[in-house]
Amino acid sequence: MILGLNVNGESVQVSIRSVDRLVDVLRGRLGLSSLAADCRSGNCGRCLAFMDGRLVYTCMVPAFRAKDAQIVTLEGFAKTEKYDDIVAGFTAAGLTTCGFCLSGKILAAADLLERDPMPSPETVLHQMDAVRCRCSDPDTISAGVIAAAKVRAARLYHRVGK
Amino acid sequence: MNPSAAVRDQRVLGEFSLKGMLYGSTIRSPIDRGKVLSVKAPPMPRGYRLILSQDIPGKNRIQSFGTQIPIFADAAVSYKGEAIGLVVGADPALADELAAGVLVECEEEEPFLQWESFASSQVLAKRIARQGDPEKAFATAARIDKGSYRNGSIEHFYSEPMGAAAWWDYDKMAVLCGTQWPYHVRDSVAIALGCDPADISVRPARLGLHLDGKLWYPSLVACQAAVAASVCGVPVKILYTRKEDFLYSPKRARSQIGIRSALDSAGKLKALDIRIVVNVGAYGPLAEEILNQTMLAATGIYACPNVHIEGYAVATNTLPLGALGGLGASHSYFAIEVHLNKVAQALQEDPSDWKAANLLRKGMSLFGSSPVVEEAPYDRIVRRLEALSDYRRKYASYELVRKRDSGKSDSLIRGITLAMAGQGGVFFLCGEGSNSYSLEATLGKDLELELRTSAAVEGEELADLWRLTASEILGLSPEKILIAPADTDRAPNAGPITMSRGVTVVNRLVERCCKAIQKKRFREALPITARSVMRVSSHLRWTDDGLSGTPFESTAWGGAVVEAEIDPRNGNVRPLGVWLVVDGGKTLQKERTLASLRSGTADALGICVSEAFDPQSEGADSYFRYSPLPLSSLPAIHVELLDPDGRAQARGVTELPFDLIPAAFTGAVAQAAGGEPDSLPLNAADILRLLGGK
Repeated sequence: MILGLNVNGESVQVSIRSVDRLVDVLRGRLGLSSLAADCRSGNCGRCLAFMDGRLVYTCMVPAFRAKDAQIVTLEGFAKTEKYDDIVAGFTAAGLTTCGFCLSGKILAAADLLERDPMPSPETVLHQMDAVRCRCSDPDTISAGVIAAAKVRAARLYHRVGK
Repeated sequence: MNPSAAVRDQRVLGEFSLKGMLYGSTIRSPIDRGKVLSVKAPPMPRGYRLILSQDIPGKNRIQSFGTQIPIFADAAVSYKGEAIGLVVGADPALADELAAGVLVECEEEEPFLQWESFASSQVLAKRIARQGDPEKAFATAARIDKGSYRNGSIEHFYSEPMGAAAWWDYDKMAVLCGTQWPYHVRDSVAIALGCDPADISVRPARLGLHLDGKLWYPSLVACQAAVAASVCGVPVKILYTRKEDFLYSPKRARSQIGIRSALDSAGKLKALDIRIVVNVGAYGPLAEEILNQTMLAATGIYACPNVHIEGYAVATNTLPLGALGGLGASHSYFAIEVHLNKVAQALQEDPSDWKAANLLRKGMSLFGSSPVVEEAPYDRIVRRLEALSDYRRKYASYELVRKRDSGKSDSLIRGITLAMAGQGGVFFLCGEGSNSYSLEATLGKDLELELRTSAAVEGEELADLWRLTASEILGLSPEKILIAPADTDRAPNAGPITMSRGVTVVNRLVERCCKAIQKKRFREALPITARSVMRVSSHLRWTDDGLSGTPFESTAWGGAVVEAEIDPRNGNVRPLGVWLVVDGGKTLQKERTLASLRSGTADALGICVSEAFDPQSEGADSYFRYSPLPLSSLPAIHVELLDPDGRAQARGVTELPFDLIPAAFTGAVAQAAGGEPDSLPLNAADILRLLGGK
């Protein structure tokens, strides 16, 4: 079947099989390498992407469910100011990752900051449970997301002030 | 942090592709042990090919610490899932389908799965250590305690599963794989292809977190990919799925440690009789090293005049079992700390006081070794831990509550315990070319410094440390210091990167090279190149009944307090807080070291409460249940470094959480429950059993 969807602001049509998962379409067909079809069980968080504004494990979404959906992956998100806020926050907190889980961590943080602009450390850790990786410690992750929230707030406040 | 690292990177194996690349899918043994009678493949479509042991142009083996492991099993198989061959082709899904359709006919033999009691043919390594007269000490002891402690297998949960890609690059076979030891990959592939090591170019892929699980196995997969690429004449990539990695890549060794202790009438430790059995699975590629390290840590950091230790590394017909978060010391620290906590509690003493009175002091000997030159800063560590965790008050009050209310109420019960350990540094005890390190540095005309070493596989955190060291000596800004890729063509051999060697050894080489360049600078024309080589002999030998020589060049010390809470109604156990104090010498990157200790602590807590892999019974469905602990379920983790700005040389500390946390957690549960847990992880059923047994 032919699937029409919008990926990172661009309308695309791809031929899919009924058994295909969204991650296979995004990574395998469209070459979006920020996603990885790693655990294929909605556990590791390497395949996280926004689908119609909701953060989803794309390995758990049948490709046909994405018909007419707006998909945003790290490649698209990286062009936004929100991305810059998160990177600035992570860097300020000294958050280093193995690199493999970074896309998931950035998108999970972005998802949280949309819903909760000033999250508590506990809320951050609950949100970051979406990405399972041994590489980062809880304190630095929560410090990174909270620092990102402050950068974001400063940017938005600055804009309102103008 | 490099955010762009999340997007396509040809040094990430999963991203790597070349024109015409084929994908390999592994054909695996269906049985635990037996003879391979035949391998019958379905008809292969055009462009697909079966690769078996007879296709290997060189020798069908890789060598790891004296053990030989077949690249593809031919006549016999030693564990279920062992690689027998590959199906290679352009479509990975079709290659998987074809590999699943290959019929491997075997004559099954009785597998060796028992290991706590074992046949002599299963013994891969044996060590005996003896000191004083333990028999006499036990015969005259005022008190004897005994216990048996088990450590289970753990999955590494790598950042990227095992894999390798190989292709002809003009006249060289190029190999891309994530490995802790690029030169081991190079030498193994050379043996497999029957060519000179100089004809192999290993380009390490981004490694990610490995927990010491990528020491030798990447060499095996690299050989398989290289053989296929050599036969097919096109690039071949093998990349395990997460499920395949979970089921078939090596895991942490299992162990059972039996301890019998004798005390004199003053309650002082008089004798220890310890029996160590380590299950290293099939082939046991790290058997000797793991047993050595387990033996050395068997008595912990304590002095005992009369000791008898017998250690065995035992092979079984399960997947190979080896290192995780260190090479074996964590097994022993768990056993001895839990045992001595039990002894102190039975004497109605605070374990921290009792242990202080039995500490291995400077000048004492560890079963025959040279006298210990440095003792653990026990008092300083304990003082800090007490101040941070309120350990002493909590311990006394939890003891009181336990004795008063034991089994009488359904209210939550708590326990708290302290554990101590040391991480011996720098060298492998088995040698085999693994204790030689080198690094080259060139200061160019544009005043850019390039550092070349195969230790660069470890990634940016370590590279930043080297930049810091070099910039301090040469007065260059860190951006002017480049770390060359760890390719074996360019970077000299720095041995296996494990046991924090990047911090302890390679950083020292950076220091030496930069000082050598600084001496020549302004006197000689640029570019100036310096090379530094360090060969460390362990100076340690096992004799018939013990050690001779010095066990470790340097030791980092640490102590941990864990507080845990049990709900007696359902047996749920929850760590409430973890406090860790570490003496790792001078620490240049304090924040990163603290973060690394915190993430190690999180992993070690996973071992305590949830993570367990049973190599004999894990099935495909168990893969879906296995996961590191969620961040939100972790307690507050407080870590402090002792004197990080001091003058003492930097030491490796990353294994300490694995040595300390399981013992401290178990002690806390034992105090709360009043029972004697002896293995991890502790689940609700175990706790209810402990509570019921009071």
